[in-house]
Amino acid sequence: MPTINLWATDGYISTPGGKSIYIWGFTDQEGGSAQLPGPTIIIKEEQPPAETVFDINLTNNLNEPVSLTFPGQKNVKVNGQRVQPQYNNGELVSLTNYALPGETITYSVTTSSPGTFLYESGTNPFKQVQMGLYGAIIVRPCDYEPHETGLCTAYGTGTGTEFDREYLLVLSEVDPAFHQAVKQGRDYDTRQFKPRYWMINGRCAPDTMLPDYTPQLPNQPYGAMILMEPGEKVLLRYAGAGIQNHPLHPHGHHTRLVGLDGRLLQNINNGEVNDLSYERFTVLAAAGQTCDQIYTWAGLGFDPATNPIPTTIPNLRNMSIGHLGWTLWSGSPYLGHKGELPSGMVSYNNAGEEYFMLHSHAELEITNWGAYPGGLMTMIAVYPPGTLGFNQGMLPTSL
Amino acid sequence: MKVDIRIAVTDGWIDTPDGIKHYIFGFVDITGVPEAEIFNYCGKAELMAPPLVFIVGDEVYLTLTNIGTPTRPDLDDPHTIHYHGFPNQIAFYDGVPEPSIAVPVGRNFTYYYKPLNPGTYMYHCHQEPVEHIQMGMTGPLIVRPADYDPDYPEYKTAYGHGTGTEFDREFYIFLSELDCHIHDLIAKVQDPDWTEYKPTYWLINGRSYPDTITNPTPCCLQQQPWSALIRANAGEKVLLRFVNLGFQQHALQLPGTVFKIIGMDAMRPLGRNGEDLSFFKNVVYISPGQSTDAIFTVPDPFQGQAGFPVVLSLYNRNLNKNYTAGMVPGGMISQVHIYPPGTLPPQTAPNQ
Repeated sequence: MPTINLWATDGYISTPGGKSIYIWGFTDQEGGSAQLPGPTIIIKEEQPPAETVFDINLTNNLNEPVSLTFPGQKNVKVNGQRVQPQYNNGELVSLTNYALPGETITYSVTTSSPGTFLYESGTNPFKQVQMGLYGAIIVRPCDYEPHETGLCTAYGTGTGTEFDREYLLVLSEVDPAFHQAVKQGRDYDTRQFKPRYWMINGRCAPDTMLPDYTPQLPNQPYGAMILMEPGEKVLLRYAGAGIQNHPLHPHGHHTRLVGLDGRLLQNINNGEVNDLSYERFTVLAAAGQTCDQIYTWAGLGFDPATNPIPTTIPNLRNMSIGHLGWTLWSGSPYLGHKGELPSGMVSYNNAGEEYFMLHSHAELEITNWGAYPGGLMTMIAVYPPGTLGFNQGMLPTSL
Repeated sequence: MKVDIRIAVTDGWIDTPDGIKHYIFGFVDITGVPEAEIFNYCGKAELMAPPLVFIVGDEVYLTLTNIGTPTRPDLDDPHTIHYHGFPNQIAFYDGVPEPSIAVPVGRNFTYYYKPLNPGTYMYHCHQEPVEHIQMGMTGPLIVRPADYDPDYPEYKTAYGHGTGTEFDREFYIFLSELDCHIHDLIAKVQDPDWTEYKPTYWLINGRSYPDTITNPTPCCLQQQPWSALIRANAGEKVLLRFVNLGFQQHALQLPGTVFKIIGMDAMRPLGRNGEDLSFFKNVVYISPGQSTDAIFTVPDPFQGQAGFPVVLSLYNRNLNKNYTAGMVPGGMISQVHIYPPGTLPPQTAPNQ
């Protein structure tokens, strides 16, 4: 039975503008700082009929009670008893069993389905979830095998959810005034909630495009840049950890929604399978919801030798290239090729890869306190065939 | 078929029913305009932007020409066109400045695409999109199926013969919001804080009710050419092409009839094995960057009695959005006018 140790504690995160924001959050390192989002928990299901159970030891190093809820999981127990809302003199104080400051509590969780889920605080959740006490859970199907044809799936073999790479995008929004009030022990009027930052995996763009575990963001370990090769199936797992809904639009292609809230979009009636998945170019990632989708991009078959683009490339000195002196562009319209860029232009292009924005279409959310570019935005980088490592964009099989 | 279009980007001023004019950025169609005359279009941006209508298989060459912003001559912003939702688009033609090219003042760039799938799309500028979308650089885009033929009812469809998407008339229902404080700041060379975004107007096809159902006059709506009035004969099938390029979700309803949702984001709702997942709705709930194709059958409530045209109301069930800067009624409201069968001639273009 897998056991995960989490500590609820505090820490700081950075914004691209250089601001520091006080957070509460989880860490899986004793004595560590809170990270945003909390450590991703990955569980591989047992072969049915065996149930899959995992334990989480939650140690509370904050100065008020903290708990964990597991939306979408079948059975959650503490000390062998089903978790219950907690009351004090008849007043609801927590949606579930909690750990007092300094205390450790063990939740025993039975999974209900493969898919993407959240775990989050159920104690004073408007405050504690906003402060950062949340993370994602990925449940793998029992027959999951990375890189194995037909077995590298989100929901099990035969479910049409095969993927070549996978990326988890945990979405949230932050009102820094709220965080400052909590840091200083002041009251905060929830009616005043006004987010100034929108985040993927606890980072605002352009930090979303930095690698995992980049040293300058010690408490925001997870990147959100999506790297892929043409024609690959990329599993995008959205998890809405905030209180707002975010319309996410990936450039370059529709996504096919194959799972919602950790459930395969499929009905079986009298043995007849009805596939309920569908394609969209903008998916509303709602608060508390998870969306598992397959994205692919194959291009239009242009190449300079046999199928050139049907327009002339203008003199680039007459055009506007990139943003404030930098560009992600290679200078060529062809995948895997590089062209000459105007002098003085810094290009972050590595191998002639093409970049497609993935962003909230509620466009004020792609700012950092009003300044574009920022916020809930990242890039999908399509690299030339054979240039990405085997394990790029593969999360562990289990933890 | 090869399609050549030329779109200019510039600025302009639009009207709301309270008599206020608002500064916008936007597009205007200059296809076929002689080179010496294109600068006559400076300051003539339209809201909504000129709708683009293509057929699957068209070779579309769209040239964007940046003719500057006369109200803000200091502003030397480049602009782009992003075709929102075209599958497998290459970055070079995708109109996102950070990984490709944008068009400075006085320059042209030609975007190429061969539409692959029918449906309702949209296009907009992707340079500093929070500002340029809010300022009005947004329009709808239709791709018709390859077999589209308006002379044969079974081929006058949204998604092709045999897809159950036949219609008699079609209308753009293009949704956006306008924060007049932000537009005012930008006209006055100030930087807004986008996190303070708070719309004061809710628009269909660039207009706020009652402008949605009226005609332009010499003084008003000169740069908002698109009415949102839905006129149809009883018994006809009407296709509403909803597009949302605001920053808010909207909830449009039309009591008196029921929508069949036959397309979402330019895709028929089909499962992996072709399962038909179309469904009926009274409220079209649509988030920014989404499109919805809804067909309704025009009711014949009077059964031949006098009293035509019968009026149905289309409005936002987020009722706070049926306002014009606080005045009621206004905002995201329009009407369906129903005529006796055979009254209106066949439609030759959307929104007639």
